[in-house]
Amino acid sequence: MRLFTRARTTVALTVAAALILAACGGETDEPDDGDSVAAEEPDDDSGDADADEAPDEPEEVPEGDIEVPVWIAFTDYRLDWARDVAASFSDQVDGYTITVQGYDNYEALFDATLLAVDQGGQPAIVQYFEAATTEARDAVSGSGEPLFASVEDRIAGRDEILGFPVILDDVVDAVQDYYTIDGEFSSMPWNSSSAIMFSNRTLMEELGISDIPETWQDLEAACETVMSADDAPSACVTWPNHGWFTEQQIALQGGLLANNDNGRADRADEVNLDGEEITDFIQWWADMNAAGFYTYSGTQRDWDGAYNAFASQQVPFVWYSSSDTTLLTEEGENGGFEVEASFLPFNADRPDGGALIGGATLWLTEGLESDVEDVALAFLQYFNNPENAADWHKVTGYIPITNASIALLEEEGWFDDNPNSAVASAQLDAAPDTPATAGVLMGNFVAIRDVVTEAIEDILVNDLDVAERLTQADATAQQLLEEYNLLVAN
Amino acid sequence: MHAGELTLPAIIALSLTTGFGAVTLGRLGLAAGRPRGVAFGAGALAGFVGPLLFMVPLGFCTFGPEAVTADTLLGYGLMAAGAGLLLRLGWTFLDPVAARARAEAADTTTHGVFKGHPFLPWLLLAPTLIILALFLYWPAGRTLTLSTRLVRLGAPGQVERCVTNFTELVGPSRPGLAFTVMMITLGLFVAGSSLSRRADAAMQRLGGYLSSAGVASVLLLLSLLWTASYQRVYLVTLIISAGTVIIGLALSIGIAYLAYQPIRGAGIYRTFLIWPYAISPPIAGLIFFVMFDPSNGIIEHWLGSLFGIDLPNYRQNAQLAQAVVIIASVWKTLGYNLLFYIAGLQTVPGDQLEAAQLDGANSWQRFRYVVIPALSPITFFLIVTNLTYAFFDTFGTIDYLTAGGPAGQTSVAMYEIYRVAIPGRDLGRGAAQSLILFLGVVALTIWQFRSTGKRVSYGS
Amino acid sequence: MATDTTPLTSPTGIRSVPSARSAPKRPLLGHRKSRADRWPTHLALGVVCFIVAFPLLYAMIVATQGNTEFFANQITPGNRLGDNFQVVWRDRNLGGYLWNSTIQAVIITVGKTITALLCGLAFVHLRFPFKGPIFWLVLVTLMMPTEISILALFQIVAGLGWANSMLGLTIPFLASATGAFLFRQHFANLPSDLSEAAQLDGAKPLQFLFRILLPLSWNVIGALAVIQFLYSWNMYLWPLLIISEQSEQVVQIGLGTLRNTGGGQSYGPLMLGAVIASIPPTLVFIGLQKQFLSGFSINAEK
Repeated sequence: MRLFTRARTTVALTVAAALILAACGGETDEPDDGDSVAAEEPDDDSGDADADEAPDEPEEVPEGDIEVPVWIAFTDYRLDWARDVAASFSDQVDGYTITVQGYDNYEALFDATLLAVDQGGQPAIVQYFEAATTEARDAVSGSGEPLFASVEDRIAGRDEILGFPVILDDVVDAVQDYYTIDGEFSSMPWNSSSAIMFSNRTLMEELGISDIPETWQDLEAACETVMSADDAPSACVTWPNHGWFTEQQIALQGGLLANNDNGRADRADEVNLDGEEITDFIQWWADMNAAGFYTYSGTQRDWDGAYNAFASQQVPFVWYSSSDTTLLTEEGENGGFEVEASFLPFNADRPDGGALIGGATLWLTEGLESDVEDVALAFLQYFNNPENAADWHKVTGYIPITNASIALLEEEGWFDDNPNSAVASAQLDAAPDTPATAGVLMGNFVAIRDVVTEAIEDILVNDLDVAERLTQADATAQQLLEEYNLLVAN
Repeated sequence: MHAGELTLPAIIALSLTTGFGAVTLGRLGLAAGRPRGVAFGAGALAGFVGPLLFMVPLGFCTFGPEAVTADTLLGYGLMAAGAGLLLRLGWTFLDPVAARARAEAADTTTHGVFKGHPFLPWLLLAPTLIILALFLYWPAGRTLTLSTRLVRLGAPGQVERCVTNFTELVGPSRPGLAFTVMMITLGLFVAGSSLSRRADAAMQRLGGYLSSAGVASVLLLLSLLWTASYQRVYLVTLIISAGTVIIGLALSIGIAYLAYQPIRGAGIYRTFLIWPYAISPPIAGLIFFVMFDPSNGIIEHWLGSLFGIDLPNYRQNAQLAQAVVIIASVWKTLGYNLLFYIAGLQTVPGDQLEAAQLDGANSWQRFRYVVIPALSPITFFLIVTNLTYAFFDTFGTIDYLTAGGPAGQTSVAMYEIYRVAIPGRDLGRGAAQSLILFLGVVALTIWQFRSTGKRVSYGS
Repeated sequence: MATDTTPLTSPTGIRSVPSARSAPKRPLLGHRKSRADRWPTHLALGVVCFIVAFPLLYAMIVATQGNTEFFANQITPGNRLGDNFQVVWRDRNLGGYLWNSTIQAVIITVGKTITALLCGLAFVHLRFPFKGPIFWLVLVTLMMPTEISILALFQIVAGLGWANSMLGLTIPFLASATGAFLFRQHFANLPSDLSEAAQLDGAKPLQFLFRILLPLSWNVIGALAVIQFLYSWNMYLWPLLIISEQSEQVVQIGLGTLRNTGGGQSYGPLMLGAVIASIPPTLVFIGLQKQFLSGFSINAEK
C-alpha cells in the first residue's frame, strides 16, 4: 500500500510537471526557450575563438526589429565570426537584425534548405556549396517560382546599398569564373578555398626527405623513403575521400567531368566518370593505398580523420582544404613541428591543367520585401568588405575574396609572416583559364559526388578493378543526371 | 511513361482471378452452409475487385507498351496478391468459425457497458482515429503513390514511372528465378501448414520443419533475386538482424539465468545489467564509435597491448564493421531482453526443476532441458521485438558508428532508404524500398500471429 | 521509433505476467546452495556486470579527458571536465537540445497515455456501431511502423507547416495502438462489478474513468510511460527530417555537432554530451522503476 501511494505521488508529480512544461513549450515558435539554461560567462579558452556569445544559442532579435535569417554550414569558430560580423552590421542598420544559424556541413545545410523549401520556410540568405550551384539555380519554391534571385541582378548596378559599398566587381578572377554562369554573377561569394597539401617539415627531414613533393611521382618516391625508414609512421599521406579532391585532380590533368564544356556552354547531359584522367588518378590512389602509403579513414567525406592523422603526426603529408590553413599551421606550432603548405601534387604525365576552387556562396532568396532584400544585399557587401574579407582569411585560410582585401593583407605584410596562407590564392592564380579549371556545373552533382566517393571506397576497401568500377559509377551517375534533366525539363 | 491500356493479358488474368475467386470462395462458402449465390457471387466479386485495387491506381501500366517482362510479372503478382487479400477478407465474413470468434471478441469488450451516450465513444476515439488516419494511413497511401514516380527532393516536377522503381531492383535476367522462388515458398508453406494441422504429433513436427525450411530457403534464395547493389542491402540486413537477435538472445538468456540466482546483491547486479535499456541507440553508436576508434580507441589499444592482436580499422573492414554494429546493438538491447527473461524465469515451474534434479540432471542440463523450453514463449516474443529493433532502431547506432560504410556494408534496409531518399534525394526509389521493407514487416507479423500459441511451448 | 509498436502488445509478453503472479512465492531456481557454491556466481556476475557497464563507465571517463589524455589511452579521469562542459553546454548549447527533447518526450508520453486511456474506455465500457472494424483499424497499425512511410509523412507534416516546430515533433505520435490495446486488456481484466456499481451510483463514463479506473491503472500507466518516454527520447530519423533549425533540434541529433568542436575529432565533449543526454531517460527509468518492473513482474519474488 505504501508503495502504491508513493507510486501515485511520483506519477502525479511527473504528470503535473509534464503539463506545466507542455503548456510553456507547446505553442511557442520563438527559439529562445533554451536561454534560461545556457551559461552566460564568456570565458572561452578553446583556441582562436573570439566570440562573446554561444554559437548555437539563438540570438535575440530586439523588439520591433525585422529578422533577416542567414543559414551557413559552420558550427565552430567560423559561425562565431559570422555572428560577430552580423551583429556589428545589425548595429549599423536600424530596425533590422541579421541572425545567423549554423549547420554541421555543406551537405547537411543543403539537405536542410531543400527540406525547408518543402517546409515552406527558407531563410533570406542561404549558403550553398559549389557543387550545388546548378540545383540552386534550378530550385523552385512550392508555387513553382524560382527560389533564388540573382545577386547581380538585384544590385542593379548600384555602387552602394544603404551606404555600404558594393564589392561584387572586385571579386578575384578564379571565383568570378566559377560562379559566373551565362554571364551573370548570381550569388555572393564568401568562403572560397582550394585543395592544397600540408607537409610536416620536421618529420620529413627526420625521415630523410628535403624537398616537398610536387607531383604524384615525387610523392610516391617520398613515401617510399618514408615507409622504409626505421621509425616509419603508420602511413605517409592521407586525404579525405571527398569528391572535391577527385575533381581537383581531374582539373589538374585538364580533364572534364561533363560534356558541353563542363556544363558551362550548355546544360550538361553526359557525365564522364570513366575518362582517362579520373581512371589514372584513382588507379594511382588505389596503388598508393595498396602499398600502404595512403591511409584511408574508412569513412566518406571524413575531414576529421585526415585532420587528426596529420595533427597527431601519424602521417607527414595531408591533402586538405586551404580553409583550415590557419588551424593546421597552429597544430604544428602547438605540437612542435613545422607545417608547410604547398600546391596539390599533380600528375607529371599530364601537367597542363590547373586547380579549381571550392567553398560556397551566399544565395539571396526570391520574393523578399524590397526593404528586407536591400538589407540582405547590403549585408552581403558588408560581410565581404575589405576589412572583413581580410580578417576572414586570417582567421581561417579561405582565400581573400576581393582584390582590395589582398591589397590590405599585403600592406600589413601578412603573407610575408604567414607564407602558408598565400599558397591557395597562388595555386588558383596559376591555373589556366579553361573549362576544366572553371569547374563542372551539372544537375544532381551533389548526389553524383556521392557516387564517386562510394566507388572509391569500394575500390579501396574491396580491392576492385578501377576501370570496371568506374564504368559502373559512370552509368549510375549518368542516370542521375538524366533524371535530373528530365525533371527540370518537365 | 504512359498508362497501359487494358490489354489482352490483363483481361485474361482478371478473368482468371475472378473465376478462381468464385470457385474457391464458392466451394468454401457452400461447405460452410452459405447460399450458393452469395458464396459464388462474393468470390467472383473479390476475385474481380482485388486485382483492381492495385491495377486501377497504376492504370494497368504493367501491361502497357513500355513495360518490360519484370514489370508484367510484377503486375500479375500484384493482381494475385490483391485477389488473395480480398478473398481472405471475404472468407472471414463467410466463415462461421470466424464469425463466432468475432462475436466472442465483441463480447469480452462489452462487460459493464454504460447505456446511452451514443456520441461519447466517437468523441473518445476521435483523437486516436484522426491521428492514425492523418499520420499513419494517409502517409502509407502516399508512399504507394511516391513509389510509382520519379520524385526528387529539390528538383521541380514529378514523372510517372509505373513499377520501375521496384523492378529495377530485381536482377536483369532473373524473372524465371523470381518465379521459382515464389513456387518454392508456396509449396513449402502449403505442405508445412497442411501437415501441421494433422493430429499426428510427428507429422506436426515435420510440418513445422518444412515451414521453417521454407522460410529459410526463401530468405536465402530471395537474395539471388536482386541486383548486386540491392542484394548487398538485403544480405546486410539479414546479417545484422540475425546477428543481433541470435547473439543478443543467447547472451541474455544466459545472463538472466545467472542474475536470477538468489544471492545477496542480486538487485544491484540487475540494476547494472538493465541500465543500457535507458541508453538511446544513437548514443550507443557514439560510445562504441569512441571505444572502437581505429587509431586511438581503448579496444584497439587493449587488444594490442594485452593480446598482441592488431585490430584492423573497422571502418574499412566489412565483417568487422558489421560485428561492431551487432555488438553495439546487442549491448543496447540487453537490458530490455533481461527484463523479460528475468520476469519469465519466475514462471519456470519449480517442481519440474526439482524432478530433474532428482533424476540427476546437472545445472547445465536443467538449464538446457527445463529452463530454455519454459522460456520459449518469451524467446519468441523477444525474437519479434529484437527483429523490429534491428530493422528500425539500429538506424541511429549505424548513423553515428559507420554511416552505413564501408562501401555500404552496414547499410541495413532502413538506412539505405534514408541514404537513397535524403542524401540521394530520390524520394521515389526511397518509397519503393520502404514498401519492400514493409513486406518484410508484414511477413514477420503474420509469422508472429500464426505462431503464437502454436509453436511455443508453455513448459508442460 | 518502432519499439513503440511492440513491447507490451504480444500476448506472450502480457499473458505470461498473470501466471507469474500465481506462481509459488519461493525461489524456484538455484535454491539449496551453500555459501561456497555462490562465489563463482558472484564472480561471473561481477565480470558480466563490468562488461555490460563498461561502455558507460568508459564514456564517463572520456568525458573528463582532453584529446591528449584520450590519445594516450588513459583510463583514469582527466581534469578537462570543466572545459568540456564549457564546450558542450555553452558553446554548443546542449541545454537547448535537451530542453527540446524533454518537452517532446513529455508531450508524447502524456498525450499518448491520455488518448490510449480514452480508447480503452470506449472499447471496453461503451457500445457503438462498427466497433469490431474500428478496433481492427487501430490494431493493424501495430504492423505499420512510422519509418515505413516516413518520407510521405515528412511531406504531409511539412505541408501542414509544422516543420521546425514542436507540433511536427509531437502531434503525429500522439496516438498509440500499443497503449489502446494495453488499456483495453487491462480494463477488460478488471472485475465487471466495478462498472456496474459505478452505474448504480449514477456515475458518467468519464467520471468512472478518472475516479475508478485511473487509480487502478497506475502500474500500467507507469510501464507505458517509461516505454513511451524512451521511445520519443530515442527518436532520431524523424527529427533529422523534420527539424532543420538548430534551435528547434532534439538532443540525439544535436550530439552529432559535438564530434568536431574545432580542429578534427573531439572525444571528451562528445562523451560528456552522450552522458548528459542519457541522464533524463535514466531518471525516468529509475523514478518509474517500481511501476515498470511490476508491469513486467520483475521483482515479484520478494
